Amino acid sequence: MSSQAHYREAHPLVFVITHWINLICMIMLAFSGFYIHYPFFDGFMGVARGMHFVAMFVILINLTFRVIAAFFVKTATDLGSREVDTDIKNWLPQEKNKHQFFETVKYYLFLRKEGVISAKYGSLQKISYLATVPLTYLMAYTGFALYGPTADWGFFMWGTELVGGPMNMRIIHYFMMWVFILFTMVHAYLANIYNFAPSKIIFLWKETEH
Amino acid sequence: MAQEAHGAIYDLLAVRGVSRRDFMKYCGYVAATLGLSEAAAPQIAAAVEKGAKLKPALWLNGGSCTGCTESMAQVDTPDVATIVLELLSLNYFETIMAAAGEQAEKNIADTIAAGNYLLIYEGAVMMGEDGNTLLVNGHKGKDILEEAAAGAQAILAVGACAVDGGWIYAHPNPAGGIGVQSFLDSVKVATPVVNLPCCPTSPEWVVAMVVQWLLVAGDDPAVFLEKTALLEKKYHDNYRDADVSLLYPEYIVGSTIHDNCPRRGHFENGEFVTEFGSEEEAKGYCLYKVGCKGPQTYTQCPVTRWNRSVSWCVNSGAPCIGCGGLNWVDNNAPFFKRLSSIQMGGSLGNVQPGSVGAVVGGVAAAALVAHGLGMKAAGRIGDGPPIEEMKAYDRKRMAKGGDK
Ligand code: HEM
Ligand code: HEM
Ligand code: HEM
Ligand code: SF4
Ligand code: SF4
Repeated sequence: MSSQAHYREAHPLVFVITHWINLICMIMLAFSGFYIHYPFFDGFMGVARGMHFVAMFVILINLTFRVIAAFFVKTATDLGSREVDTDIKNWLPQEKNKHQFFETVKYYLFLRKEGVISAKYGSLQKISYLATVPLTYLMAYTGFALYGPTADWGFFMWGTELVGGPMNMRIIHYFMMWVFILFTMVHAYLANIYNFAPSKIIFLWKETEH
Repeated sequence: MAQEAHGAIYDLLAVRGVSRRDFMKYCGYVAATLGLSEAAAPQIAAAVEKGAKLKPALWLNGGSCTGCTESMAQVDTPDVATIVLELLSLNYFETIMAAAGEQAEKNIADTIAAGNYLLIYEGAVMMGEDGNTLLVNGHKGKDILEEAAAGAQAILAVGACAVDGGWIYAHPNPAGGIGVQSFLDSVKVATPVVNLPCCPTSPEWVVAMVVQWLLVAGDDPAVFLEKTALLEKKYHDNYRDADVSLLYPEYIVGSTIHDNCPRRGHFENGEFVTEFGSEEEAKGYCLYKVGCKGPQTYTQCPVTRWNRSVSWCVNSGAPCIGCGGLNWVDNNAPFFKRLSSIQMGGSLGNVQPGSVGAVVGGVAAAALVAHGLGMKAAGRIGDGPPIEEMKAYDRKRMAKGGDK
């Protein structure tokens, strides 16, 4: 699969930027989150909380923008192709992903040798990319339920009461951080396992021919 | 003693060594607890001075350690709280009443029969073994409460146990301790219940509610509910498997301990106590790392404080253990760890969320490394694997003869 060329049409500049913002915010949120969870050195709590609070708004705006843009920006339909279509179509399951979910799982479990036919994103990729959207909003929900200025809003209070109080909400928020860490680990691994051409395009916007 | 002319209450106070100044200061605390400005202190003092008519009341104990009574009575230093409470005619107060035996029982029955009384309930309602986990003179504690509650004008549920069962309610709750409101829901008694949290509850909060009832609401339940800023909190009672809605005075549970904590500056500066008995502790640094539950606990402890506003948990160097919250033991144990442990049950015991996170992260990292080695061994690194000519699904269909 990676013997294909990687063209800018796969990830237009706006999405290179949104991806950078995602990555930087996630690093800031996870680092400051770890610190808030347990301050492992002195003198940083005010900054850590400030960092968390800034990054959480930025990532939410960025995500919302990314989702809306998916309906307007056109991206490549296949790897190694300059043919484009509306981005959201390339996110949702396509004809080429049909019947391929279990085959993809088998492939990664070494139960088959050949790679599977897929659209620009394979079925596993699509599931995990799509999942990041509700997951980030859910993360924001659990976060705002802890956030002083918003914690007593009925909308967030409802959830806090549902999970049995603010302590449980903190634990859920903390566990969800691990979900994002796992996502990012697996995502960075799978995106770059064959070679770094995908990273060159998503980070540096540099095309490669094979 | 050069005292000006004033009501009988000052004589009572003088006898107990409480000056007029102390009394005014105290009325100030009460005003603050009621969410009024301290300027309201003289009005409260004047009202107490006038000595409203004695209000009949019952103080019943359920499954309790009597800590809330202790907290109220402060036997070694009888103070203003005691005197303000003398506005109540406590016809039954198990721990400190003079009556005993049949006379005491009769006092309950007479009070209920006469009606127009307040009920103060301390401790959990004991439901286990069909209510036999608490028997008083052969009567089930829950039945005594049901009868007394049905006839009362209003109920003050004092202390965490009366609120939702407190520590008695903690997992696995063999005695079946639950809160007053939850119990009254189950027996369909609609008398309004106002909940006063913490283990034990704060005497000033009880006094504030009595002042509110007698002096602001004029002994009228409807006016009381209307004029007291109340906040509703919901929780799920696991013992009864039912949702319960509690009423609290808003000024007591409206903000977190962390929001009002005198150590908050150290928190923001990132100055923490990591070990008890350390230099950091001597400097009065923030107790977050040694398990302070202040950020998750909604009570007014740092404002009212305890023991006549001398000190309170965090002030005295102990991290808040969150006793003002709901299901507080399960939600806050272990007390010296930042987050509560997750009760896995069985041989797994209780684990800290941090350990779960580290194990999950470690296993995932190891799995990815192993997978990467596998990918290399399978010769997929570099250009990736050759891609199939046709989907496996289509190949199978072709083998079966394809579309008809
Ligand atoms: C997206 C919106 C987010 C919001 C609104 C949010 C909000 C918050 C808030 C208000 C706190 C409590 C801070 C305090 O009390 O001082 C918190 C803690 C925390 N956050 Fe977030 N956060 C968000 C995203 C994230 C993400 C993406 C991560 C990790 C990848 C994360 C990890 C954490 C961690 C680990 C804590 C500490 C939990 C604890 O142990 O107490 N947060 N967050
Ligand atoms: C170590 C960090 C990361 C690396 C190395 C990385 C790498 C990549 C690469 C190479 C791609 C292109 C995949 C392809 O075209 O097949 C990609 C896409 C993507 N990544 Fe990441 N990524 C990282 C972190 C994140 C994080 C933290 C998020 C969000 C939570 C994220 C969300 C996405 C999404 C949604 C896409 C689809 C592209 C688009 O937005 O249109 N990535 N990433
Ligand atoms: C290495 C560079 C700098 C450091 C370490 C630094 C550090 C600080 C610190 C610690 C404070 C006190 C903040 C507080 O506690 O509230 C402060 C205040 C301030 N800084 Fe800086 N600063 C730096 C550069 C600058 C520069 C370049 C400017 C402006 C061009 C600036 C403008 C200010 C202003 C206006 C205040 C508020 C002063 C006040 O009204 O009290 N700082 N800075
Ligand atoms: S001691 Fe507790 S309540 Fe006070 S600032 Fe620290 S964490 Fe918050
Ligand atoms: S400070 Fe915390 S532990 Fe102490 S009484 Fe208040 S809620 Fe309970």
